[in-house]
Amino acid sequence: MAGSGQIRQLRRRIKSVRSTQKITRAMEMIAASRIMKAQRRVGEARPYAEQIHEVIRGLAASNAVSDHPLLAEHDAIDRVGLVIATSDRGLAGAYNANVLKIADRAIRQEEEQGREVDLYLVGRKSEGYFKYRGRTPTQLWTGVSDQPTYDDARAVAETVMDAYRKGELDRVWLIYTDFKSSLTQVPHRMQLLPVEAEEFEGGSEIPAEFMFEPDPDDILALLIPRYVEAKVFHGLLESAASEHASRQRAMKAATDNANDVINKLSRVMNQARQDQITTEISEIVGGAEALSGN
Amino acid sequence: MGTIHVEVVSPEKSLFSGDAEEVYARSLDGEIGILAGHQPALLALDTSPLKVKLADGGEERFAVHSGFLFFRDDRLVILADRAEPAGAIDRNRAEARLRELEQRSGGEDEDEAAVKAAIRRQQVRLDVASG
Repeated sequence: MAGSGQIRQLRRRIKSVRSTQKITRAMEMIAASRIMKAQRRVGEARPYAEQIHEVIRGLAASNAVSDHPLLAEHDAIDRVGLVIATSDRGLAGAYNANVLKIADRAIRQEEEQGREVDLYLVGRKSEGYFKYRGRTPTQLWTGVSDQPTYDDARAVAETVMDAYRKGELDRVWLIYTDFKSSLTQVPHRMQLLPVEAEEFEGGSEIPAEFMFEPDPDDILALLIPRYVEAKVFHGLLESAASEHASRQRAMKAATDNANDVINKLSRVMNQARQDQITTEISEIVGGAEALSGN
Repeated sequence: MGTIHVEVVSPEKSLFSGDAEEVYARSLDGEIGILAGHQPALLALDTSPLKVKLADGGEERFAVHSGFLFFRDDRLVILADRAEPAGAIDRNRAEARLRELEQRSGGEDEDEAAVKAAIRRQQVRLDVASG
């Protein structure tokens, strides 16, 4: 019979869509729980960043900070570093594409001004993207983007700070995704180095009777790298939260879509089954009629 | 006697926030004890045990692995690169690690300074864990 083959095919397709749906639904739920965790980590990291900022501002009010190697602008800007935070895995909607779009724009702008661009990539997705375009990253970190630790952020920050101090880089951008809410995540570009002196303005001055160990300049030299590290850490945490939010949304859409597809296929299948039954009945009736007519 | 508001924060999270009467730590130059009304201070901390005597009579201890101590107007902030509360330290493992490190120190191709620093870290952790 012609109908049964079609029915079998439809049944197989429905089954396959259902099993895909199970996967997307699981990923959606995992991502949803990770958003909460990632958001909590963003919150937990805030006190340190705020406190260190306050201390530096206090120190900067009475001490000259602008000659610190991480704040000093280089005379000529020839080589620019880009730290780009993307994810290791896909299936996160437009998350990586959005970050990379901003990154591409930044690269274009810098290169138009005749500057060289070095890439410091976090996440396998950005590596694949730039490899296809013939760019090799100066350094790559993988296995980080999901749940970044402070040590990860520190490794990234130290690499670019070193390069900046040695004069290998004259400016460093950090490109990450800002987690506004679970519905909106905005890719964002921020200047990481040199640290702009304005960031440390407006602190309440630390009075002279303060006790310093070691002296203020040395303490500042220790504090400023921590500040940069905290910034990178913040960027990575925000990116991780955005990645999970983006994945959750993409997987929710996929799950809903799978439902639609299943409904549509079931309808077609039921129709086909009904047709088949109708055909069978009319054949039986026709056959009986033919017999009784004898 | 007044109390000090103490906060212990590490980059990953805030570990402690509360009122204390006395705080003891070790800076790069030596031990320091802080009471309410202490001169304002900003100190770099080495690997340091941190003891916080709470206003309600209890005591909290932390192992701080480098960081800063900032004290001003009876507000004390510890900005630690890494900090562990005493309860989170596994004494047996710390001891095992310490013994292993002590055996390695003096070896031929070991980075002596790094091993010494690691030993000091484990000692501070043990100190903190045993109170």
